Formats: sequence, structure tokens, C-alpha cells
Amino acid sequence: MAIKPLLTKDFATENLHQLSVYEKTGGYAGFKRALEMQPDELVELVKKSGLRGRGGAGFPTGNKWGFLPKGMYPRYLVCNADESEPGCFKDRYLIEKSPHQVLEGILIASYAIGCNLAFIYIRGEYLPQTEALETAIDEARQAGYLGKNVLGKGYDIDVILHRGAGAYICGEETALLTSLEGYRGEPRLKPPFPAVKGLYGKPTVVNNVETVCNLPHIVLNGADWFAAIGTPTGRGTRVWCMSGHVNRPGNYELENGTPIRELIEEHGGGVWKNRTLKAFQPGGASMMVLLPEHLDVALDFDAIQKAGSLAGAGAMVVMDETTCMVDAARRYVKFFHHESCGKCTPCREGTFWMANLFDQFEAGDAKPGDIDLLLDIGYNIDGRSFCPLGDASTWFPRSVIKFFREEFQEHISEKGCPFKKSVQEAVA
Amino acid sequence: MATVQTEQVTLTVNGQSVTVPKGTLILDAAKKIGIDIPIFCSHPKMAPVAVCRMCLVEVEKMPKLQPACAVYVADGMVVKTTTEQVNKYQKGVLEFLLINHPLDCPICDKGGECPLQDQTYQYGPGASRYQFDKAHFDKAVPLSDKILLDRERCVLCWRCTRFSEEISGERELALIQRGVHTIIGTFNDEPAKSAYQGNWTEICPVGALTSRQYRFISRPWDLDRTPSICPGCSMGCNIQIDARNNKIGRFQSRENLAVDDSWLCDYGRYSFPNFQRQSMERPRVRRDGRLEEVAYEDAIAFTVDALKRAGGQAAGWASPADTNEELVLFRRLFREVLRSPHLDHRSAAVPDAEPDDMSLAIADIERLDCAVVLGGQEVIDAAPVLHLRLFKAQRKGLTVLKVGAGQVAEAVAGVRPDCTVVGILATEANKAAAVELQSKLQRKVKGSVRRLLVTTGPNGRGAKDLGILPHLGPGYASLNGQAGKGRTEWPGAGLRALYVHESSPLHGFTPSDAESMWLPTLPLIVFHRFKPSPLDEMAHVILPGHAFTEKDGTVTNMEGRVQRISRGLDADWVLEDWRVFQEIANGLGAGWAYESVADITAELVGSLPPYAALNRGERVLWSEPG
Amino acid sequence: MALAKATAEQIKDLAARYPSRQSAIIPALWAAQHEQGYVTDEAMHEIAEHLGLPPSLIEATASFYSMFLTRPEGRHDVVICINAPCMLRGADEMVAYLERQLGVRDGGTTADGAITWHSTIECLGACGGAPMMQVDHRFEEDLTPERIDAIIERLRTTPASHDAEPKRPSPRPRAKKSQN
Ligand SMILES: Cc1cc2nc3c(=O)[nH]c(=O)nc-3n(C[C@H](O)[C@H](O)[C@H](O)COP(=O)(O)O)c2cc1C
Ligand code: SF4
Ligand code: SF4
Ligand code: SF4
Repeated sequence: MAIKPLLTKDFATENLHQLSVYEKTGGYAGFKRALEMQPDELVELVKKSGLRGRGGAGFPTGNKWGFLPKGMYPRYLVCNADESEPGCFKDRYLIEKSPHQVLEGILIASYAIGCNLAFIYIRGEYLPQTEALETAIDEARQAGYLGKNVLGKGYDIDVILHRGAGAYICGEETALLTSLEGYRGEPRLKPPFPAVKGLYGKPTVVNNVETVCNLPHIVLNGADWFAAIGTPTGRGTRVWCMSGHVNRPGNYELENGTPIRELIEEHGGGVWKNRTLKAFQPGGASMMVLLPEHLDVALDFDAIQKAGSLAGAGAMVVMDETTCMVDAARRYVKFFHHESCGKCTPCREGTFWMANLFDQFEAGDAKPGDIDLLLDIGYNIDGRSFCPLGDASTWFPRSVIKFFREEFQEHISEKGCPFKKSVQEAVA
Repeated sequence: MATVQTEQVTLTVNGQSVTVPKGTLILDAAKKIGIDIPIFCSHPKMAPVAVCRMCLVEVEKMPKLQPACAVYVADGMVVKTTTEQVNKYQKGVLEFLLINHPLDCPICDKGGECPLQDQTYQYGPGASRYQFDKAHFDKAVPLSDKILLDRERCVLCWRCTRFSEEISGERELALIQRGVHTIIGTFNDEPAKSAYQGNWTEICPVGALTSRQYRFISRPWDLDRTPSICPGCSMGCNIQIDARNNKIGRFQSRENLAVDDSWLCDYGRYSFPNFQRQSMERPRVRRDGRLEEVAYEDAIAFTVDALKRAGGQAAGWASPADTNEELVLFRRLFREVLRSPHLDHRSAAVPDAEPDDMSLAIADIERLDCAVVLGGQEVIDAAPVLHLRLFKAQRKGLTVLKVGAGQVAEAVAGVRPDCTVVGILATEANKAAAVELQSKLQRKVKGSVRRLLVTTGPNGRGAKDLGILPHLGPGYASLNGQAGKGRTEWPGAGLRALYVHESSPLHGFTPSDAESMWLPTLPLIVFHRFKPSPLDEMAHVILPGHAFTEKDGTVTNMEGRVQRISRGLDADWVLEDWRVFQEIANGLGAGWAYESVADITAELVGSLPPYAALNRGERVLWSEPG
Repeated sequence: MALAKATAEQIKDLAARYPSRQSAIIPALWAAQHEQGYVTDEAMHEIAEHLGLPPSLIEATASFYSMFLTRPEGRHDVVICINAPCMLRGADEMVAYLERQLGVRDGGTTADGAITWHSTIECLGACGGAPMMQVDHRFEEDLTPERIDAIIERLRTTPASHDAEPKRPSPRPRAKKSQN
């Protein structure tokens, strides 16, 4: 399949983060074109393009915009740059390399939904990226893309860059809004959905960084052009964040529908150290593990779901034969335990309990019943938690128990991790 | 008023059909047909948060279990609350809650009335499969001089923090830290200042927030519980007196939506030690300058003799904490038997009372579009639970204007002319300003203006209604030139006897400077009261009486609602106060024959028809409010 | 220790920037931490005053987020990721090496006060460059023992990062040349 990067096509250009360079590559032409259109036309265009959100849930972007109740103002757009899903680092890359592309996408989305004040919620750990965006905003303001009556078209727009302070849950859209309002980042009940009652109780759209980066290209090239890329249910491209046991980890923008094999073997240069592939995990920490037999599954929301996992936020964590799957699951479970906001009982207590059990496996103190106990705790968390964080905390460990149960048993019978020895040798 | 027709929806819960208004939660629809869904975080006064996840139920066509406390009913909804999945999961939540719970029920104040304990028994897992160290938190953290917090027992239901945010608006309690480390607390564990902390202990579904005063006094099943009214102020909040072995353990709230909306203030709630009788007292009479214990008959005979001599020059002070029944007899004793017009219940001169002082009902504050609190915090301090009603209304859109008692002009300027119902709240001391404001606003706004004056004591309103005033009779009737002197005029009025009746140490007879000079000059002081006080030193007769918490009767709150108080503690050796009045009256030749409090109540209703409201727990309406 | 006048002014400006002054809590906490190195009780009280909010709300928020520090730390802040993607590429070995080179345990500060380090299970968003760490919030990727040695050497001899910056801390930080 021919790969034509959209978002990253100019990323080799030096100093792309500077406004003048970005403009030379065609930057802000999309925004200018958008300003010539009616906002409703833009919403229709994006609906027609089939663009689906890149933040994890894959919700059609145009439809989300269409949910805003008529005549209710002010409205807000919040760009979700909280990227904290373990395994994901694409938004960071998109911001670092081309902060103006992000900004242009935000301006287009804001204009389309009739918003005059947009926010970027960026995770606290992304300090250099915060600085890059801040500079871009200043440059854009000076160039007249931002502020009152932009480009003389009678449209006012300002963007506030808001820095988080360390909380994965703030990536979840309602928690993000709560956090942006100054509170603890705890998710809110839905309904009401943010489109109806979001930031400060006003209609709000939350869109991921990568999602908005698509907009300038869709506006410039048209819905049909975009719809022709990718698969019928997954238009366009995605930036995949490859990490783990491959030769060339990093971000790769690929057309949707590309086989996973191509990502790992061609772009990633295959499994490192001439070892064999044991498992991989698409989507990020939350998602279920897949096996070598799934290598020919397409990089596409629906195809990956059919295979038993989820495309999520576009991570691809590759694990070779030496990987202790129990330890990998342990790290994720400890992550969710650390990041549980504590609002609801199953996630708060359940992740704590699971983390304790996993430590017990690691320490060699686990008992035979503990594998089923883990599954049962997972059952009591999944689908019962307040927000998807709790649910997702159980998906990877349960899928690992399903496919690699014998590794758990070995941890019990060998009173510890059968893979650890190599590590100890390496440190010594 | 036209009744608003709300849309009805029909659903089934466990196969039973139920029809409820649109906007009802599944939880409440199920309750309506007697199906209990277990909860911890849900509270009828607070917005749903669905954090505890105990109430998850199956709803057909929804893939996940749904929180019954947060999902609204829909037509044709099929809800199942007892399926295997639901039951398994309820066990799961309880197991989760218990992994970090200390299970120190035997020494927990909540033991016996703890939803966690009850639900564990009913729905819970058998033995815990949790085999690690529990997360440890501080136990017995003093949140203030009133409240202790046990952070290990806390199940993070958010009720107390929501109370602080949504009910009292003080935002003093907050969640601190996150995840499994989350705790509740005040800023930096500094002492809480809220005036409503006791409510936290009542809404806490476990023994995490407890009253320091009640700690370990008793187990709930050992308590004798008596419904009554708070003696604290004229709000008339409904309480339950919880006692054991004739010792008061606590005052708990007893919801009355029209009055307290289920809350109490700390002043009222924690006033209960004042009502604990310390000794078994007997009547005393002063002979040769010394008080001697005597039998009731002797004390009464002594009093009758002395009063006879004073006749129309005897003054009577009844407290604003007396029951209406006592007040009826007290008034008759003075006006009819002794023929003295010198009757009062007040401590200071206040403007005349009139029925219009309560044209605004407490619950109707929620239906105002603007409320002027004339006197600001002073009004709230006089009846603290009023603030909760105001704040509730404020959250629904009421504009609350707090101004100084003298700032009538500012208040007039602050009220928008398009208001449809404006309320004025003030203490009775500031009645003149309230009336002035009312007439000015009446001219400015297009709608109606009503006022509610905060009276004194739990029954200052009743005392006025029943004519315990020097210049007005029952029902604010004119005395046709027969007016006597009010309390502040008594010194120097040539009086020859003073009878003080006092039912509550919170609303007693505290002599002013002028009175301190005057009292020793009186030939007779009868002090009929519950607790010793400095006035004992001057009295010629001391008649032990029953406390507010030891008697039956009715009291009338600031808005004219007549409510029953009941005997929560026994003091059988004390002759009921109304009987003392009757025996004195009969000693003076009256021939009364009341046999019970109920007899007096019946007479009161008969002679003062608006008081028929008491049989319905309603407000006394002297005329249609304007 | 009261906040500097400039910080207090900045907090008041922040309050005016958002449709609701409550939104200024996190930026205000950043400003306070930037000035004083960590968030003190006194600073939270002051923020509450400047924003006209109850102090409990400030503590509730401050304590929720892992990046607000509650005690003074070393001049430099080193955070090393141990989540799965980093673990796969040898994060545990790097953690062990870092601990040995610094001579203090996870969460501790070196005797010379130069470096506070801790491991984190919170993914920092550089899995493509694993193993990685953040030094004063800036990324250091593809760690090897040699790179760690070089970084430690550099940190021991440079002043605190925020001392080097102009006293105009985030939330509106200026872009500047990366230090590496
Ligand atoms: C626990 C959790 C974490 C999330 N983190 C992120 C995130 O870091 N970035 C993001 O864009 N979306 C994240 N999401 C998804 C958002 O809730 C939301 O769906 C998304 O930002 C919408 O943008 P999109 O429609 O453009 O995808 C997260 C969701 C959950 C449940
Ligand atoms: S599932 Fe976890 S993160 Fe989500 S609300 Fe519950 S405790 Fe918070
Ligand atoms: S202290 Fe009680 S009311 Fe408050 S959160 Fe804990 S359990 Fe709930
Ligand atoms: S407001 Fe008055 S009646 Fe109500 S609890 Fe307080 S003191 Fe008692």
C-alpha cells in the first residue's frame, strides 16, 4: 500500500515549528480557506470526510460537533493534549515538530463550531512542548491568525494554553474539563455530555491533538480526497507510536488499513536482537494483548477490535520472547492503581488489590488461587467502574492471563519470576 | 395556583410495574413499590454522584450495569435488581469497601445503625479474600471541638464533602490526595468552623464522622428515642431525643421538609447537655432568710398566700420556651384569677407583634425570587438552619441580599422591580425596619412582598399568639385599655410579686442591671424552673419544674407552625408545671379541672380557632397572607 | 514564607484570564511552586485569598496532582520511567544504575543537595526513546550508563533550572533553547 503521510509529510523540513517555515509548506492555507466557508459547511465537510477521533474512542468528529445544541453560546473547544496513555507519544511529536499545525486545526474546529475561546489542555510533563505551543500562539497572534477579527473576516478567537500537573485521568474528557475548571480531575456523570453541558456548564467539544491536525488537510483537499485514504470505517492515516522490542522505535504515520506486520517489520525494522516476537499490544496500556498470529490484522479501529483488542490511542508496544508477561501486566496495573482518581469504589480499591496481588507474583509469594482471584477482581471492576479507566485497568492483565496463564503458574511454582535472572545478570 | 401536570412514565422493576413522574431516579421508583436498592453515596438532598457503585442494577437494553441512584427512569424501562449478576457484584463492592476498612464495629459509635454493617450482613461476601495489609490512615482525628474523623472507616461516599459544598455552601470539607490515598479533611486539618457539623455525623454512612460528645456513650439499640422539637431557637427544627437510662445521648434530626429539611445546627444539636438534670430537687421556701425543703403542697400553699396579697400587683414572666399549654394556664392565672395585666415573655422591649410577621413560610423561601436578609449574619445566628434553606434556594436561582438592619434604602435599591415574590427576613427586634422595607418594596416591585420575623426561643411565637404580652390578649386581641406593664417597665412600677416560669436554661430570666436592683425589694419572688440559677439566691419560693425535654405539649415556631414536643426524659418526682399552675389557681379559688395536657390543648383549639392547625402540624394562619 | 509580590500579581492576572477564577488554581500553584520550589501551606492560603476561594479547595486540587511537591527538593529533579514500554528496554537496569551512582534511594536527595530522583510508573510520553528520564521536565532519552553519568555530572555543576530562567514561570513559559 502506498503510504502518503498527511500530518507528518513536512516533518523533515528544518524549523517547521517556526511560523514562516510552516507557512511556506502551505500552513494556514486551510484556515484561510475555512474562513471563506460557512461554519455549517465545515461541519458537513468533516462529517463527510469520515474523520474519527484519534484520542482513543474513535468517535466521528463531525458528528460530535453536530451534537452542540443550536443557539447556545458561548461554546468552547478544548484540544486534548494530555496524552498520558503508556505507550503513546504521538501528540507530543506532532506538537514538537509542528505546533502551528495543531493550532491551525484548533482554529478551524473553533470556527466550525462557533467558538471564540479555545483551550489546549497539555499534560504537565510536556514542558518543552508547552513552550513550543506558547511560542506558536504568540507568533500566530502577531500574524493576525488569532485575536479579534482575524484576517479581517470578523471572527474573534483566542486560545488559552492550560498546563496540567500530573494526572493521567485528566485525559478523559470530563475529568479534563473538571480539571480545567480548577478542581480535582475527577470524571463527571454522563449524561449530560460535554457537547451539551461541558466546560463551565457550556456546550463544549473535546478533540484530540491528532484529530485537529487532520483538519487543515481535509479543508484544503476536500472530504472525498480524505475519504479515499484508509479503510471505509477508518479514513485517513494514524500516527502509530511504536515502542518496546523493535529495532527502530518511534512514530510512524501510516494509512489506515496497513497490516500490523508492515508497521513492526518494515518501519520498526523487526524485533530487535534477532529475537522472535512473543506478543504486542496496540492502543496503549489499556488494551488487550495480541499474538504473532494477529500480525496480518489491519491497523484499523474495527479490524483490531475484531481481533480482540482496541486501536485506542495508537500505541504499538512490541514484546519479544524474553518478556515476562506477568511483569508487563504488573507495570500497567500499578500504573492504573497510581492513576486511579479514587472516585469510585471498584477502581480505587480494585486496582489497589490487583497491584498487591501482582507484587505478590513478582515476589514469589503468590498462591494457586490468586490467578482466578485476579480474574474475579477484574470481573468486579470491569463494566462497574465510573469511567473507562477502571474498566481498562483489567483488560490487559486479563488478556495476559488468557494467553499466558502458564507464566503466572510458573511464578507460583518457581516462587518468583522465571525471567528475572537475566536482568540480575545484566545489572551485576 | 395551577398544578403543573408532570409527565408520567411506567416501568417495571423486578417484574412489578410502577408509574412515576418523569425525572424520577430508578432508585426512587423502586422504593415506591417497596424494592430497596442498597446505597452508600446516594442522598436525597444531594445531586447524584454514583461513586460508591453499590446500587448498580440491570437495565434491559443497556450493556453495562447502571447506577440506580443516577439514572432516570424512561417509559418501558425494564429494571432488575436481584439478578445473579447484580448480587455477585454487590458482594464485590462490599468486598472492595471492606479491604481497607478496619472492621472495628464493636467499638464504633455507628455500630448498630451502620449501613455498611447492615449491607455486609445482607448482601456481603462471607470471608474476605483480601490477605494484605490494609491501607492505614489516621484514626480519631479531631476535626473540631465537636467532631472526630476516623479516616480508616471512611468509605469515600462524598456525602460530607457534598454537604459542605451543596447544602451549607461553606466548602470547608474537601477530598485530599487521590486514588486509594484519598482522605477527607479540612484545609491542613485546621479546626472546622462550620455551624452545621453535626449533620456530617448523621449523613456519614459509616462511623467515620462522629460527635465527640456522643462518643461511646451508648449503642444505638440501647437508646430510647423520643420525637420532639429543638429547644434552640424559633426555627422549630424537628429532633429526636436519644436517651439511655434517663441520660441524653444526643439530639438527632427528624426530617420535616417544611421546617428543617432534615438538618440541625450545631447550636441546637449540641445544646443537649444543658437539659441533663443534675440532681433530684425538691420545692423550697424561704423562711428566716433560708431556703428550706418542703413538700409541693406546702410550697404551693405558701405561694397562694403570698400571691393573694399581691393580687393585681403580681407580675408574671413566662419563658419563650414554655409550651402553649403552660402559657394558656399561666395567662389565665394572671389575667383571670389574679386579675393582673402584668404579663410578659420577652427580655427586652420589642415592637408589637402581629400576625403579618409570619406571612412568609420557611419552605416558601424556595419559591421567592429575591430574599432580603435584613441584619445579615445576625438573622442567621438567631436561627442558623435558615441559612441552609436560603442557600438551597440560592442554588436554584434565588437572589439573597444581605444588608445591615439599618440599611433599608440599600435593600430597596438592590431588589429588581420585576420580582414576583420578595421575602424579608429579620429578627423581631428589627421589625420596624422590616415593615418599612416591606411597604417600600411593595411600591417598587410588581409582585408581592412577605416577611418572616425570627422570634425568640422555641415558642416566642406561641407566647405572642397566646397573649403573654402586657398589652395584647390571645390572637392579638386588644385589651381595651386594660394593658399592664412590660418586663422592662417592671422595676419601679410598684409591683409586689414576681412569678418567673422557665423551661429552658437557654432562654431563661437573666436580670438586667435595673432588675438586679429591683428584685431584692420585692416581697415575693416565685421561681419555677428546671435548673438552678443565680436567681435562686433571691427567690422566696423555688418550684422545680420540668425541662423542655421532660414534658409534653406544643410549641409554635417563627412561621406559626404548631408542633408537638414530647417527654424524652423522666422526672416523675417533679410535679408537672401545668398542674402547679392549676393548683395555685384553685388555691386562689378558681376551680379548674384539667386532667391532662390534652385537655388544655383542646381548650386552646376551641378558644383560638387558628390553633386548630396544630392537629395537622400546620401553620397558624391568622388571615390570608398578603 | 509569603509569596513574592510578582507571584501574587501574576496569580491575580491569571484569575482574570479565565472565564472562572477557579480555573486559575492550577496555574497559580505552578507559579507558587516555581517561585518557592514546592507548594507550602502558606502559599495555598495565599492563593485562596487572591482567588477568593476557600483554602480547602486549593489543597484538594494541589494534592490531587502528582507534580505539585509538598516538601523542598534538590536543585534538580530527575524522574525515571519504569512503566512497561521502558521496562521492556531496560529501565530497571537504568534505575539500579542511577541509584548506585547517586547513592540515595528512590525519592531521596543527594547529599550535596544537587539532585532529587525518583522512579515513576506514570508514563512520561517518550516510549520511543526508552529507557528515558526527565531532568527538570526535559526529556533525556535512550539512556545508557554513560549518558546517565554525563547527565549527573552536568547537574552537579549547574544551578537549579528555575534559577536560570527569567522569573516569569509557567503557565505562560517562554520558548527557549533546549539544554541538551
Ligand atoms: C482514562 C482515559 C484517558 C484518556 N486520555 C486521553 C488523552 O490523553 N488524550 C486524548 O486525546 N484522549 C484521551 N481520552 C479520550 C477522551 O476522553 C476523548 O474521548 C478524546 O479526547 C476525544 O477526542 P477525539 O474525539 O478527537 O478522539 C482518554 C479517555 C480515557 C477514558
Ligand atoms: S474508574 Fe477509576 S479513574 Fe474512573 S472515576 Fe472511578 S476511580 Fe476514578
Ligand atoms: S467521612 Fe463519612 S460521609 Fe465523609 S466521605 Fe467518608 S464515609 Fe462519606
Ligand atoms: S436552627 Fe434553631 S431550632 Fe434549628 S437546630 Fe438550630 S437552634 Fe435548633
